[in-house]
Amino acid sequence: MRLLSLLVAIFLSLPLAAAELAYDLQPRQIAADTWLLEGSTENFAASNGGNIVNVAFIVTEAGVVLIDTGISKRYGEALRAAIGRVTERPIVLVINTHHHPDHVFGNQAFSDVPIASLARTRELLAEQGGAFADNMYRLLGDWMRGTEVLLPGETLEPGVREIGGHRLQLLAFSGHTGADLAIFDQTTGVLFAADLVFYQRALTTPQTPGLDVWLSDLEALEKLPYTLLVPGHGPVATGREPFAQMRDYLGWLDGLLRAAVAEGQDMNEAMRAPIPERFAAISLTRFELIRTVSHLYPKYEAQVFQRVDAGE
Amino acid sequence: MTVRSMGLALGWLLLSSPVWAGDSDPLQSPMWGFHQTRFLGTAPYEFDERVVLTAPPFAEDSRQVPISIDASALGQEVVRIVAWAELNPIAHIFSFFPEGPVAPRIALNIRVEQATPLRAAVLTRDGVWHVGSTRVDAAGGGCTAPSAVRAEAGWEEHLGEIFGARFPAGEGSRLRLRVSHPMDNGLSGGIPEFFIERAELRGAAGQRLASLELHPSVSENPTLTLQLGEADAGQRLWLRDNNGNEFEAAF
Repeated sequence: MRLLSLLVAIFLSLPLAAAELAYDLQPRQIAADTWLLEGSTENFAASNGGNIVNVAFIVTEAGVVLIDTGISKRYGEALRAAIGRVTERPIVLVINTHHHPDHVFGNQAFSDVPIASLARTRELLAEQGGAFADNMYRLLGDWMRGTEVLLPGETLEPGVREIGGHRLQLLAFSGHTGADLAIFDQTTGVLFAADLVFYQRALTTPQTPGLDVWLSDLEALEKLPYTLLVPGHGPVATGREPFAQMRDYLGWLDGLLRAAVAEGQDMNEAMRAPIPERFAAISLTRFELIRTVSHLYPKYEAQVFQRVDAGE
Repeated sequence: MTVRSMGLALGWLLLSSPVWAGDSDPLQSPMWGFHQTRFLGTAPYEFDERVVLTAPPFAEDSRQVPISIDASALGQEVVRIVAWAELNPIAHIFSFFPEGPVAPRIALNIRVEQATPLRAAVLTRDGVWHVGSTRVDAAGGGCTAPSAVRAEAGWEEHLGEIFGARFPAGEGSRLRLRVSHPMDNGLSGGIPEFFIERAELRGAAGQRLASLELHPSVSENPTLTLQLGEADAGQRLWLRDNNGNEFEAAF
């Protein structure tokens, strides 16, 4: 009898468990016309549904400009509903800052709206989106149900674009993924740095063309006269601290990898290198160091390895 | 004392009893028995923390998972190290026979087809196998993924190119290298097995210092890290693939 009631309880709880897969998206106003949906600084996990990314939107006189769409079709739908609670204006433009899954996999919820990115971002998403989806389904399970890659249909060129009274300066960089768009709203002073800036969350390197490229991108980005910085991951900031942290962290990573290959360390040794105490507040440093060594170690090894075979 | 807590206490006694030490698989892998029979036969073995098998907790790239094995705590007694990935379609990774100045340490990259237990079994002169274990999580697919080497036009031109260096390591030295080779394992797209199957580290006079038998669970463009107790021993590395191509490097 106890077994039966247990089975009944399990059966009854099933639809409830399924219904719990809902993103609680509460847009927070961070500047005039400007709203943020701040994700956690955790890794992708079934417990967070992959809501680990910052998504923002600007309510212009011409309609809503949305910057990134989140990790899943379900997220995109919740995002669209959340925008609808803030404004009745239509969404006129969706921007994909870069091709990583947490920024573009909500695209399906905006299939009736122009979705735009850098040309290279579309190429990269076409090449790698399927593999990203496989991995996200593995990590997030049912949160991803129905999610498919929807490529952006429009191409963004760097330069200033005025939309509904907001002068949006579009800046093309490459340090994070090979094609990274940052958006500076000259009207409000808000800089949407996307994943060129991680703050209090370890940066990720799977497609970076090089840490040096990323550092020089940051140098250009930091010169913008912003009053509020929205990083791709982590809290917003009014000051320059996120740039200082990024430079410090990238410099440390670069130095660590250089020293490790120069000493002849193998990859596992480099993955276990100590992490400086000053980065203690940054989330996921060990996890991302393991990933970064996987991504970049061969490139650093190539700088110290010599040709040692007899050749021709 | 309840029945449950008595059971727990009994379990604890059994687990902590020396009779069981080195007998029960710490990873509780379903394939342990199969591979134990296959690789170790009927020889005595123990799970031994002196065999340090290191891998990242997860495979960021299932085609290139770094593993390193350090059995130097077993000293000069080591005659062979056999490594395998328990749930791989091709489980065997390598058999390594260090001699003389070559330390019982090795690091290289492997492919994993799924999350798997990894083993390094170290045979000592007394005929006992000492087994180190770890586990790697993975999205998988590393053994059946299309070759990155073959995707590059003109890869044949670079076949067998070896890049590497010797590094000082304490009293001795360390050799690290990467060989350009697709290490085809026969599991992807009508491409037959084509892999480096044998390597020997030799002295200046050509005498063998260590030999290594490789299997195509080893990643393409294989990496290798070897450690030597002498600063300049192991001047030559010889490699041969299963098509008979021979490659040689000088350190």
